[in-house]
Amino acid sequence: MIRIRAAAAAAACALLLAACGSGGGGADASGDGPASVKVSVIPIVDVAPIYLGRQQGFFAEQGLKLELASAQGGAAIVPAVVSGQVDFGFSNYTSLILARSKGLPLKVVAPGAGSTGVKGRDFGGVVVKTGSPVRSAKDLAGKRVAVNTLNNINDTTVRASIRAAGGDAENVRFTELAFPDMLAALDKGNVDAVQVVEPFLTTALKNGGRLVASNYVDTAPDLTVAGYFTSQKTAAAKPELVKRFAAAMRKSLGYAADNPDAVRKVLGTYTKIDPALTSSLTLPTYPAQVNAASLKTLSALAVQDGLIKTAPDVKDLLP
Amino acid sequence: MTSAVATGSGREGRRRRPVPAWALGLAGLACLMAVAEAAPRAGLVKERFLPPFSAMVSALAGQAGTPVFWRALLETLRGWAIGLAVAMAAGVVLGILIGGVPFVRAALASTIEFLRPIPSVALIPLAVLLYGTEMRSTLLLVVYASFWQILVQVLYGVQDVDPIARETARSYRFGPLSQVRTVIWPTALPYVVTGFRLGAAVALILEITGELVIGSPGLGRQIAVAQGSGAVASMYALVIVVGLVGVVVNVLARATERRVLRWHPSIRREVVS
Repeated sequence: MIRIRAAAAAAACALLLAACGSGGGGADASGDGPASVKVSVIPIVDVAPIYLGRQQGFFAEQGLKLELASAQGGAAIVPAVVSGQVDFGFSNYTSLILARSKGLPLKVVAPGAGSTGVKGRDFGGVVVKTGSPVRSAKDLAGKRVAVNTLNNINDTTVRASIRAAGGDAENVRFTELAFPDMLAALDKGNVDAVQVVEPFLTTALKNGGRLVASNYVDTAPDLTVAGYFTSQKTAAAKPELVKRFAAAMRKSLGYAADNPDAVRKVLGTYTKIDPALTSSLTLPTYPAQVNAASLKTLSALAVQDGLIKTAPDVKDLLP
Repeated sequence: MTSAVATGSGREGRRRRPVPAWALGLAGLACLMAVAEAAPRAGLVKERFLPPFSAMVSALAGQAGTPVFWRALLETLRGWAIGLAVAMAAGVVLGILIGGVPFVRAALASTIEFLRPIPSVALIPLAVLLYGTEMRSTLLLVVYASFWQILVQVLYGVQDVDPIARETARSYRFGPLSQVRTVIWPTALPYVVTGFRLGAAVALILEITGELVIGSPGLGRQIAVAQGSGAVASMYALVIVVGLVGVVVNVLARATERRVLRWHPSIRREVVS
């Protein structure tokens, strides 16, 4: 499935040239009544604040009628944003850096989720089976590690973890597996380690898995992992809409940061995570600002690991 | 009827009555359920990754109590029906037009053979570009995939028309419309119905695939959400629902076939035997 998505993403990039800006997204911010704003999100823990913000009326306060379109991943979100089918999308920042360096006109408008910065208590990490000889990130050299998308944020940050622990980051064999398939693959011994995020991290640890690295923590202090973006065209054509969305989003993120219990509760409205599990999940942080320094780190890692030749100017990506 | 057979003769009476097909079908399903229940319990597969059948059923019961589930089911059925209807209309009209004119048919044969094997899922980026993650992008895949199934059947059907009958109709100066009505349609109808049956199944598969991969609303998206939430039992519960929908779709297609073609020798034979 992931491979189909990757192929789809590649083809989408080619097709974007032919799109010529057809299709209209949400209405403009001008005029009476609330402006409708379409946002494409992935149903994961990271996007809880936007659901909370809608519940709390933060978007209505800004005169926005929020319409959330749930997509399965970046392969569907990026083309939808660039073609103007939706106004905003959610993605991890390495994907945006890669897209930007390939000339896709994307702009970050608000942060989404960040690392907790606490080793061993982050919302993502590398897990091995009980009894595995791998004790730390350094031991991952020469091992098979599953990540959900090759050549993206998860393999670059795992490599950063290995380097930080003094290991050989060149000598790791990454395999692409969807998060839901990883624990079974680890259990069967098809891979030696898996990089998972919540709710699979807590599930893995509950079933006897051992955490060997907190790859987001090892990469940069307060790494902003993912956030909301728009196309340059939307940013230029609807600056008022972008401003109001960013304001509502910041308020939602602040509320989510202050009310972790509300976050856990709202998860039940758009995911099917077992309610017994939600109380023990490690939530990401919901920062109010994009950490520009951590974006630069991700960009440098993408260059170092050969994902792109030259790093795009992070300033172009930021609002 | 059974008593008549029983009293026919001693030997007839002793012969075991054949087990009806539906009972065999149910027995097959029961076996499948038993295996699905026993395999995880016996430790052949880990319960964490493939829960026993009873756990799936109880997850299904939980799902059935939520409006989200019913809305998703309705969205899937709606997408399937609209997609199939569009493909059906386009396939039949174009099939008769293309098939009816030998020149056009020869000219388009290679194009059709080129477009037909393109997997619908390869068009996902195009669909997302045009319609985002709405229902319409999945609809595009559904229509594309089932249209070829129907078109090709209609083409076969039109080709099967007796040339003498066509010539006769022509020499009696039947207009094109009455030629279609009186000569082409009766011959092509069994093929059209076969196309409908094949298209109905393909449309359902593509509807679910589109929802799964793109994230347009429906059961497929619910499966993807359950996967992403690590809710294994719920995921399999929804997969079971998709299977059941498939069975219903097939039964409906067969019933339509029997109804529309009740005059046709193939169906009459089926009824007699």
